[in-house]
Amino acid sequence: MPRTARVRAPLGRAPAVLLGLAAALAAAVAGADDLVVGASWQHFQEERWRADEAALRTALARLGAGYLSADAQSSAEKQVSDIESLVARGADALLVVAHDAEALRPVLSQALAEGIPVIAYDHLIEMRGVFYVSFDNREVGRIQARELLARRPSGRYVFIKGAATDPNAHFVHAGQLDVLGAAIAAGRIRVVGDQFIDGWLPEVAQRVSEQILTANDNAVDAVVCSNDGMAGGVVAALSAQGLEGVPVSGQDGDRAALNRIARGLQTVSVWKDSRRLGETAARVAVALAQGRRGDEIDGSVRWSAGPRGVVLDAILLSPVAITRQRLDVVIDAGWVDRESVCRDVAEDPPPACR
Amino acid sequence: MTRHPPSARENPLARLGRLAEADPRVLALAGTLLAIALVLEIASGGVFLSPRNLYNLSVQSSVVGLMASGMVLVIVARHIDLSVGSLLGFTGMAIATLQAEVLPPQAPWAWPLALAAGLVLGAAIGAWQGYWVAYRGVPAFAVTLAGLLIFRGAAYLLTEGRTVAPLHPTFQMLGGGLGGSIGARWSWILAAAGLLALAGLGARDRLERRRHGLTPRPHWADAARLLTWGGLIVGFVLAMNAYPHPRTGSARGVPIPVLVLLGAGLAMAALARRTRMGRYVFAIGGNPEAAALAGIDVKRVTLGVFVLMGGLSAVAGAITAARLGAGTNSMGTLAELHVIAAAVIGGTSLAGGAGSVLGAILGALIMQSLDNGMVLLGVSSALRQVLTGLVLIVAVWVDSLASRRRVAR
Repeated sequence: MPRTARVRAPLGRAPAVLLGLAAALAAAVAGADDLVVGASWQHFQEERWRADEAALRTALARLGAGYLSADAQSSAEKQVSDIESLVARGADALLVVAHDAEALRPVLSQALAEGIPVIAYDHLIEMRGVFYVSFDNREVGRIQARELLARRPSGRYVFIKGAATDPNAHFVHAGQLDVLGAAIAAGRIRVVGDQFIDGWLPEVAQRVSEQILTANDNAVDAVVCSNDGMAGGVVAALSAQGLEGVPVSGQDGDRAALNRIARGLQTVSVWKDSRRLGETAARVAVALAQGRRGDEIDGSVRWSAGPRGVVLDAILLSPVAITRQRLDVVIDAGWVDRESVCRDVAEDPPPACR
Repeated sequence: MTRHPPSARENPLARLGRLAEADPRVLALAGTLLAIALVLEIASGGVFLSPRNLYNLSVQSSVVGLMASGMVLVIVARHIDLSVGSLLGFTGMAIATLQAEVLPPQAPWAWPLALAAGLVLGAAIGAWQGYWVAYRGVPAFAVTLAGLLIFRGAAYLLTEGRTVAPLHPTFQMLGGGLGGSIGARWSWILAAAGLLALAGLGARDRLERRRHGLTPRPHWADAARLLTWGGLIVGFVLAMNAYPHPRTGSARGVPIPVLVLLGAGLAMAALARRTRMGRYVFAIGGNPEAAALAGIDVKRVTLGVFVLMGGLSAVAGAITAARLGAGTNSMGTLAELHVIAAAVIGGTSLAGGAGSVLGAILGALIMQSLDNGMVLLGVSSALRQVLTGLVLIVAVWVDSLASRRRVAR
């Protein structure tokens, strides 16, 4: 095939012809399989995005759709040209993990005008016509608060929140207050410490917890902590006071956190299985590319809780609470191996480590 | 140092300080620290200066203090090191990964080996950066800015961003947590050794001066010195021993990371003031051309300064990981700013040539006191940043006033 191209092309124009051939080939593939989903990823810096991509590819293959992909490497400019090239290569639906949603506005309105559906994956893009697929971050906070409230219905609570500059930190905290607000208003729960942690840094969370414990002379009954990294710092501060076992929450399903749960040092980690997100997005992308309306898709809701209040069709997956009793869920799902969860578990092992 | 004739207008306090040969900058810093401590003590209703919070404060300051004691030499030599936070993260992560995942984690020799490897790694990275600065003439700002990116990324790559835990319980003692202090008896032994050393140094100084035909310090000044430092040592040990272990009720004593800071700080101060290498660093900072003409191997000394900085960052990385009981790839993020700020508050001149290790450690204490005390009071992180920034400006302004007055006089 390349040989024929080279023979027919006049000297010096071979690359252009090859490109044209590739485009024609891509179009032919799209025609044969009738649907191609183009994914524009912001980067692959964190471990999870590879898992997302694998789940998406598998699900698309099962649905008989093709897959194109581009990695913007954390550059808004590159993401714009990535999306243009995905459209040029014949994508029937776009799945976008926005690095900078504002910068993508022009190129995405162009795509939407051409009738190509756009799915905002994990990161919100607040544009009319975009379909939003994500985990419900507010629900993360609700789950954390619920698990702690079940163990300490009243008492002195501490909030260790994420970075004040990160919208997710506010979503999670709003969810925590959804559950605890009533008890706080009624005076059953007293908030004795409430701090944002710059950069979600574990060592800052540790120092802040040490100070809150000192100010309260250790009279703390529960720590509502917004993620697992910071929970590590909180637990270190508690352990230095011999307060192991004070309920602490987290999120992400970090290995170290799951191990703390097995050892009784942390109460709950809220786990967002990104593979489920990939599968859902594949289903939505294919349905939209087949011409179905967003509100006809199973499980979709009208959602407008973003900062601008734009109404979007959305699927918000519920995250899963991983507690001592439910460690098997993450192990069975292949997220972690039993050995790293159960490491150094001494007396009174949880069911998963018996 | 030039001796100024006592002027008629000199205020009595300054005259006392001059006769006692106390560094006016250190006195100013100590005064600032005391003022901050008193305000926070009153505002917190007596919690800030409680034994427990002094323990917290000393442990929390040790990481930045350690690195600031090395940063002084880097800045004095007219360079800068922006990579120390990333270096802390990378070496801390390397130590954690080595002991928990590469070597058999339960083996008693695993953590010492990992620690040693981490320290060598830190020094080697320091040598690499020093090589580019000294022998390839790339500005330290650029080399260490590159280092900031490289080693933060490398810390991530070690485990693809995964947190490494748990670490060996003995290693965690390095962090000053439960069991991470030396108890009452050893604290007193340490205090006694400190007092003896103090008296010995004073006596030696007196003898040396007499031998060289100089006027010895007045007796009252020697006594004041002994009383101040001795009082600080005894007071610190009393406070640490007054903080009980939550389970056994026995005295905690001096925390191990503070011991490491004391050791490293004394070594760095001695290096800066009493060794040839230290004098060369100050000579280079004062005038690099003159230093080179005087036969100082400027390149080698520069390389040495970066090696020290790398090694100290690795020690700081080990303490941070031990404190958390885990290695996380974000450890030390933005630490370079706190370290440089501590050195600058401590009177290190960003133009090079002037600075003191004791000042830098005091600078670290001042910064951490503010943060520590304001969290006690429940001040939000945004407001803490604003106030800390303001104190940074004021501290450097006061310092520059002090040095200008000295020149004018």
